[in-house]
Amino acid sequence: MVQSKKQRYLFLAFCLVPTFLMFSVFTLYPLFNGLYYSFFQWSGASSAAEFIGLDNYRKLFSDEIIPATIWHDYFLVITKIIGIMILSTFFAVALTQMKIKEAPFYRIVFFFPNIMSVVVIGILWMFIYNPSLGLVNSGLEFLGLEGWTKAWLGNENWALPSLVLPSVWAGIGLFMLMLMGGISNISKSYYEAAEIDGATGWQQFWKITLPLVWPQIKISILYIIITTLNGSFIIVQVMTKGGPNNATHVMGSYLYEEAFVKYNFGYGATIGVMILVLSLITVLIMQYFMRREKVEY
Amino acid sequence: MKREQGLWTKIGVRIPLVLWSLAVLYPIFWMILGAFKSNAEIYSNPWGLPESFSFANFFDAWSNYNIDISVFNSLIVTGLGALLTLVMAIPTAYALERLRFRGNRLLFTLYISAMMIPMVLGWIPLFFLLMQLNLLDNIFGLAIVYAVSQLPFSIFVLTSFMATIPKSLEEAAAIDGMSPYMILWKVVTPLSMTGIITVTIMNMIQFWNEYFMALIFLQSEENYTLALAIDYISNETQYTNSWGTLFASLVIAIVPVIILYAIFQRRIVKGMTEGAIKG
Repeated sequence: MVQSKKQRYLFLAFCLVPTFLMFSVFTLYPLFNGLYYSFFQWSGASSAAEFIGLDNYRKLFSDEIIPATIWHDYFLVITKIIGIMILSTFFAVALTQMKIKEAPFYRIVFFFPNIMSVVVIGILWMFIYNPSLGLVNSGLEFLGLEGWTKAWLGNENWALPSLVLPSVWAGIGLFMLMLMGGISNISKSYYEAAEIDGATGWQQFWKITLPLVWPQIKISILYIIITTLNGSFIIVQVMTKGGPNNATHVMGSYLYEEAFVKYNFGYGATIGVMILVLSLITVLIMQYFMRREKVEY
Repeated sequence: MKREQGLWTKIGVRIPLVLWSLAVLYPIFWMILGAFKSNAEIYSNPWGLPESFSFANFFDAWSNYNIDISVFNSLIVTGLGALLTLVMAIPTAYALERLRFRGNRLLFTLYISAMMIPMVLGWIPLFFLLMQLNLLDNIFGLAIVYAVSQLPFSIFVLTSFMATIPKSLEEAAAIDGMSPYMILWKVVTPLSMTGIITVTIMNMIQFWNEYFMALIFLQSEENYTLALAIDYISNETQYTNSWGTLFASLVIAIVPVIILYAIFQRRIVKGMTEGAIKG
């Protein structure tokens, strides 16, 4: 190419610098600044920020609500992984290997909730759980189980488990499609060989399908962990605002309340640091446990 | 598979599939039907068909709850945000994919790892940064924040798409004396159109649906995006019980997404599964 070195660098700078500046100002700087704020007592007015060293972290470790929020987050992570992975694996296998003519219909329908706004999903499910009008209680009454009806989101024991269903409902489609992508890449010859050896469908699933889609399963689980720890507070904020009596507060919704409702910005930032650290540790640990020899037949 | 599938297997496997389809579709249809019911009817017959279709709820949402302003705000934020993302992401994606320079891998890794970092921590300083820039409680400020937040995903999809374009066309254009700027604008951008459209649809859906950043960075009602307006109506509904109006506003929010999904179903699915597979 006939280009002087200077022109080359100029073009490179044109491509990279403006974007990187924006990224630095609106992503990198706030992240590092958040870390910095976590050492301050600060209610918003810029002059009033007071350096207090590790006091926010001491408060974090003695705050009684914090362990509950962590537990709630991991409760959602675990139940979502179980619910989503079982259902989406079942659906993915059914739709790829059972010769179902109307498979595209299910694919299109199951995926749709993935692109619905969390606000819409949350409000829809608030009505489904509505004590007097909702589908859940009406259904239980219809089945003659009046004793089981309750104010699902207003009940301290049931509010958190009630949040799992909307998340699973909204998540299935994406993971089902990821797994279907993995399954359709498995060579048919494995199944034919297994067929000749007389392996049952169940054996084929455990010995062929599952090991060969393990990469997709692993990615799905990590993705559920990351999106839950980084985003579970959205559905919490829409559906329960952390209530009743903090029974559904997760780390992110607690951060929101401390920082943007009570104006404890320094302490809010400390909770943010905790979220960052916990999600990085969790991802690393999971990556270690799910590493598995790559299967090749 | 050659194994004969018995009738019972065929039926048995369809039961969960049909049940899940109902679980997905029924609430959505029911929400749409509810938007056409009067409040009295929602109470007397919450899960059935409406007796007569009435648009009263839509008028109520539109005029009494100022949904019109929120729709307008959401359109601005969505359109501007998506455009801004492209302006920032296309040149960077091109440089990362095609140009050799020191730190190329490092920069790429930096952008991609930002997809896995919880941004909640950054939202507190961002709040004050926007305040200093006079962009707090401002839909243009929100559009900028949205655009930057989708940069990593957009760069990721665009670089992997640009990697599939043959280099020969760029080389031919360079031999013809085209400047690199013109090559980027006249050759690479049109050739990447499929990737650009995928990224843009994904970003638009994301921005249209987004709730939490809007909740933090917008304050006055006249700046509310649709998600905030709906949340506001939802909170009011606890006292007013005007469920019909709430459903009408949910329908207004979901219809554009349904339309986009109907047209671009394949692209959306591809974009989302690929975006997730970056692991």
